[in-house]
Amino acid sequence: MSEDKVYIRLKKKITAKQNQYITLKDIAFITGNIEYLDELGAVPIYQITEADKNISVIDGFQLLEVMVQAYPLLSIELLGTNQVIVEIPKQAKKVSVPIIFLIWLLMCVGSAMAIMNFHYDVSMQEVQQGIYYLLTGERVNKPLWLQIPYSIGLGLGMILFFNHLFKKRFNEEPSPLEIEVFNYQQDLDQYVIQHENALNKHDDS
Amino acid sequence: MMTAEAITVFLQVFIGLGSGLVVGSGFVAFLTVLGIIPRLIQLSKSYRSLPSYQFSVIAGALLGTYFTFTDVTIQLPLILVSFWGLLHGVFIGMLAAALTEVLNVFPILLKRLGIDKELLWLLMAIVIGKIVGSLFQWLIFVEII
Repeated sequence: MSEDKVYIRLKKKITAKQNQYITLKDIAFITGNIEYLDELGAVPIYQITEADKNISVIDGFQLLEVMVQAYPLLSIELLGTNQVIVEIPKQAKKVSVPIIFLIWLLMCVGSAMAIMNFHYDVSMQEVQQGIYYLLTGERVNKPLWLQIPYSIGLGLGMILFFNHLFKKRFNEEPSPLEIEVFNYQQDLDQYVIQHENALNKHDDS
Repeated sequence: MMTAEAITVFLQVFIGLGSGLVVGSGFVAFLTVLGIIPRLIQLSKSYRSLPSYQFSVIAGALLGTYFTFTDVTIQLPLILVSFWGLLHGVFIGMLAAALTEVLNVFPILLKRLGIDKELLWLLMAIVIGKIVGSLFQWLIFVEII
């Protein structure tokens, strides 16, 4: 007779309600050669309290402690990540339109000022006057034939870099910005796993 | 007399070569760090053409150096001049976008304010800001200052 064995693959991140009792099937995918998998999935692992505030981490080891107590004869194998991040959203936060508009204005005015300062910093006016002279043989104060396409190209270049043409895309690959946002989120998760983990707090003493 | 002249000439050549070497490598390093060329290759899927892109950067830098020191003029039609300006703009736009990205401005803003879906609009704010700021400067501001 083969031994009773379950495989548990922890989820990376879950969202839970305030004061929810988190069960095994909330935080993991389970499979195994036993008949009572459903019962196993209902095993309570962790009670969310006020002290958790809006984020908590359940370590795979904590889970094993509970499981070993409940089913001493069961052999458990943990797969995948070792921690689950539990997010407890306060209420669905609604971002107000005025704030978005304000940020929008800030970014818009800010980048307009930044580009003007950049142009002065690199003496672009003089360089463009020089180039205009080289290309046409005429000396003008405002080489607008050069400068207006330049200004439009400025926006095009940024869109090209971020791979966004309003809703349309040039191809399926993620834009550098999306990768950047993803990396940042991953760094945050990594930090939370380290600092919100109850096990790590005990070790340090 | 001849030796003194020879020494100054040699010094000038040496200084010129040295400064060119440093500025040139700095220029290429700057472009590399910002990752504009990889980005363009990714968009156009032309991985094989990398050597020719490298050559184009070097040729462009040399052409710019020539333009800086020459007095020769040619008569190009205005439409080609405009095309030149457009290319210039696209390049600077990519440069600015790459810089913003290196500084990690967006992820932090989005996370702090909890706005994920409005990302595109924030991007457009910057793009429009750049275009308007630039046009304003060339059309009006240069007269005032």
